[in-house]
Amino acid sequence: MESLLLDFLSNTGYMMADYRNVIMMIIGSVFIYLGIAKHYEPLLLVPIGFGILMGNVPVFKGLGLSIYEDNSVLHYLYMGVKSGVYPPLIFMGIGALTDFSTMLARPVLMLLGAAAQMGVFITFLGALALGFPLNEAASIGIIGGADGPTAIFLTAKLAPHLIGPIAVAAYSYMALVPVIQPPIMKLLTTRKERLIRMEDLREVSKQEKMIFPIVGFLLCCMLAPAALPLLGMLFAGNLLKEATVTERLAEAARRPILDSVTILLGITVGASTQADVFLTPRSVGIFVLGACSFGVATATGVLFAKFMNLFLRHKINPLIGAAGVSAVPDSARVVQIVGQAEDPTNFLLMHAMAPNISGVIGSAIAAGVLWSFMM
Amino acid sequence: MLGLKAISAQNGWEYALLGVSIVFTGLVLLALVLSQLHKLLRLWENRSSIGQLVKERWKSESAVTDQETTKSEPSSDLIESRRQYQMLVERIGEPFALPRLLRLAEKSGLHRPHATINELIQADIILPDDNGYYTWKP
Repeated sequence: MESLLLDFLSNTGYMMADYRNVIMMIIGSVFIYLGIAKHYEPLLLVPIGFGILMGNVPVFKGLGLSIYEDNSVLHYLYMGVKSGVYPPLIFMGIGALTDFSTMLARPVLMLLGAAAQMGVFITFLGALALGFPLNEAASIGIIGGADGPTAIFLTAKLAPHLIGPIAVAAYSYMALVPVIQPPIMKLLTTRKERLIRMEDLREVSKQEKMIFPIVGFLLCCMLAPAALPLLGMLFAGNLLKEATVTERLAEAARRPILDSVTILLGITVGASTQADVFLTPRSVGIFVLGACSFGVATATGVLFAKFMNLFLRHKINPLIGAAGVSAVPDSARVVQIVGQAEDPTNFLLMHAMAPNISGVIGSAIAAGVLWSFMM
Repeated sequence: MLGLKAISAQNGWEYALLGVSIVFTGLVLLALVLSQLHKLLRLWENRSSIGQLVKERWKSESAVTDQETTKSEPSSDLIESRRQYQMLVERIGEPFALPRLLRLAEKSGLHRPHATINELIQADIILPDDNGYYTWKP
């Protein structure tokens, strides 16, 4: 009886856990706290946080419980991440949710989304300088695109062993956009520039909104075919939305499909961050580079906006350059808040949505380009 | 190998430069096309009236080159405007609301629509009915 009890106790998670499991569980709990109490990207941080808790309960190998064991349930659910299936489905939902009219009303603002993607390539160079090989550097660089599905998609293709730390870094910094961006935005702009009022956006017709996904898809994917899975699904979802005759399909894309895949992706990515995989010096390097990438992307977007103002008759508020970081819609909201801190009657949100959305397209193109380079 | 040497050893500079260029090219191309999209759509919507206008303009230009320039040049403008606006009125039907005629004239790209409609009213070519609408004098 006693030996049976002792056997049972020695097989519990309490006895098998070490300090690394505890650290990861604290990290998971912090994510859940940030998501629920602070409302920092709750739809992402809560599933990821809980997934971290699930992945760091110590289990016996061979019983099909761990996410890394072939016959486990979590492993089957994780296949959608490793095979790159979940991110395109999420992009379809994003396309079905997004109204591209602010971008269509003033297409020149798309260049700010392009400028912010320089953060991807500068971080890529930084990762190479720190000794990461090409494929890992590309996966780390894409964190600067501030797009979780894109980062997971590219990492699944190029460096699947880094999915955990890269996904956690990408989503953490996306949640921290309201903390990371404002100091950089204020540092790089003058008060006079922050007070610039943008001219009103023209009205965009329904026909334009319907033609855009077809034109956008053909232009972008013919240029970078490797971006086809992500951009194809993004524009497909948007066409379903704008076509109105396919409202049922659009509704399915933006609610049950998007929400289900988000849950599965969050939990499995979180569960993949097991202590022995995650708590390594390499992960620390990834986190540092990730923070730098967001900062660089914000800076390049703002600086490019200032550069554009040298040539534009109707000046743009350079703050909206920060919205090129494609954390939709948080970075656009940050622009609104920083702008309103200077002038409460200056409404920049809709203007900031244009570079914000083009940043999504830009980061998908950047991912496609990096993938094609590494093939 | 670390630092700048590590970047150069793996052709990092080339990858980064080419990557940035491709992303910029893609979005610049897309922005250029989208900036012209609404104009192309407007042209497509008004293709029939624009075709007619081009024909009428060509005819009136040929007629003007055959005649001497006289003090009645303003009235030949009025004749030309009458032809153009008659087509628009036939399209929207009578009686018509003036704002609607104005919108259609603007969409069709006609020159100085406000002033032209005003001239047509003053010349009793566009006549008010008693219900706030207008009719066309045949």
